[in-house]
Amino acid sequence: MKTVRIFIAVLFCGLSTIVYSQAKKPTIMVVPSDVWCNQNGYMTTYDNQGTQVKVPNYKEALQSDADLLLVISKINELMQERGFPLKNLESSLKTLENQAAEDAVLTSKSGAEVAESPIDKLKQVAKADIWMQLTWTVNKTGPKKTVTFILQGLDAYTDKQIAGASGAGQPSFSSEVPVLLVEAVLAHIDNFNAQLQSHFDDMAANGREVALRIRVWDSFDGDLESEYDGSELRDIIEDWVASNTVNQRFSTTDATEKIMLFEQVRIPLYNDKNRALDTRGWAVGLQRMLRDKFQIEAKLMMKGLGQAQLVLGEK
Amino acid sequence: MKTIRTWCMFIAVALTMAACGSAKKAANVDTQQWRYELDAVGVGTQGTYQVKVWSYSKNPNVATEQAKKNAVHGIIFKGFTSTRGVPSQKPLVSDSRIATERKDFFDAFFADGGGYMRFVNLSNSHDVAIAAGDRIKIGKEYKVGIIVSVNKDALRKELESAGIINKLGDIF
Repeated sequence: MKTVRIFIAVLFCGLSTIVYSQAKKPTIMVVPSDVWCNQNGYMTTYDNQGTQVKVPNYKEALQSDADLLLVISKINELMQERGFPLKNLESSLKTLENQAAEDAVLTSKSGAEVAESPIDKLKQVAKADIWMQLTWTVNKTGPKKTVTFILQGLDAYTDKQIAGASGAGQPSFSSEVPVLLVEAVLAHIDNFNAQLQSHFDDMAANGREVALRIRVWDSFDGDLESEYDGSELRDIIEDWVASNTVNQRFSTTDATEKIMLFEQVRIPLYNDKNRALDTRGWAVGLQRMLRDKFQIEAKLMMKGLGQAQLVLGEK
Repeated sequence: MKTIRTWCMFIAVALTMAACGSAKKAANVDTQQWRYELDAVGVGTQGTYQVKVWSYSKNPNVATEQAKKNAVHGIIFKGFTSTRGVPSQKPLVSDSRIATERKDFFDAFFADGGGYMRFVNLSNSHDVAIAAGDRIKIGKEYKVGIIVSVNKDALRKELESAGIINKLGDIF
C-alpha cells in the first residue's frame, strides 16, 4: 500500500513538472498595416489637443474588404497547420464590443456597477504579443498585374521586427487579384516562419526579451536618486535587474531621478520553481525586494507577456 | 554457335546492368555531396514547392530518376534561390551537421525506394521527352533538368516527428 502511495506521489510530482515546464506562449495576431489602411481609406481621424491624428479603422476594413479577409484567413489557416494557431482580429474586436456592452449594463443586486479605472478603459484594445503586420499593393502595367507583398512580425514590447518576408510575385495577365494574393501568402509564409522559429530558438537559449519601466508617484517621499544603505535607489534597482537576468543582459536606456527604462532585458523563461515566467511574475521579485528591504511600496502594472511598469511610492 | 550467341547476350546484359548500377552509385554519391542544382519554377499549390532539379550522370535515365532524390535532399538541406518572382526558400534543416549526426535516418530515408519517394512527384512524366535545353551533354556526362513537385508540408511533418527539426514554437 505504501509503495502504491509513493508511486502515485512520484507520478503526481512528475505530472506537475510537465504542466509547469511549458513556457508562456506568445499570442500572434494578423493586422493590416497603417500604410495599407491609409491607402485604402480605412482610417479614422480625431482631434488630439489640436493635432489631427489618423488611426487605422480595422473594423471598417474587415467589414468592407474581402481581399483582406481572404489574406488573414489564409495566414491563419497556414499557421494553424504549423501547430501555431493565431488570435483572430475580427473575433477579438467583436469580443471587445460585446464585453463593453455587457459591462455597461452589469450591476450587482445592490445596484453597484463594475469598477474600472481610466487606464483599464485605455487598455481595452485588441492585444497580441506579436503582430503580423501585412501590406500589399497591386501593380498594373497594361494588362499585366503583380502583387508586392510585405509581412512583418513585430514584437509588441520591444518594437523589434523579429521576422519578415517580402517581395513582388510573378506577373500575370489573367489571374484575379485574390489568386495573386493567396499565391503571395503561400510563397512567403515559410520564410516568415523560419525567422519566427529562429526568434523562438533565441528565446529558449537567451531568455525572453522584455522591457521594464520604473516611475515614481508624486506622493513618494524621495526619488530614484535617494540613498538607501549608502546606495542610490536607481543603483539598487539596476543591481537587482543585473542579478535576475540571463547572463546579466539588459540595457538601461533612461535613468533620471524620476524615471528608469530598461530595454533588451533578457528574463528567464522559468522561475526557480520551474514555473513559466512572464514580465509581471519577474518584476514582482523587484517589488517584493523594495518592500521587504527598504519599505518602499510600489504599484506593478503589466502589458502582455513582455512589458511591466513599477510605480514607486504607493499602490 | 547458339551457345556463343547466348553467352554474348548474357555478357551484354550483365555489362549494361553493371554500367547502370555504377552510374546509379555515382549519382547517389553526387546527391550526398550536394552535386545538383535547384531552381524555383513557380509557387506550387498549397503545401508544395515546384522546382527544377539539375542532376548529373553518364546515363541520362539515371539522372532523371535521381532528380526525385535530389529534389527532396535539396529542400531539406539546401533550399533554393529566388527566380522570376518566386521567392527563395531556406532549407528545412538549418544546421547542416544534422546530416552526419542523424546519418542512420538519412541513409534509410534516401535509400533507393526509401521514404523520400512519398514526398515527390515528377511534373513532367518519365515517359515525356525532356526539353532539348534541359538535357545538356557536358564532357562525358549529362546534365538533365526535371521539374518536380515536393510536398514540403508533409516532408516537414515527417522530419518533425523524427526529431530532426523542431515544431514551430516547440518551446511553449
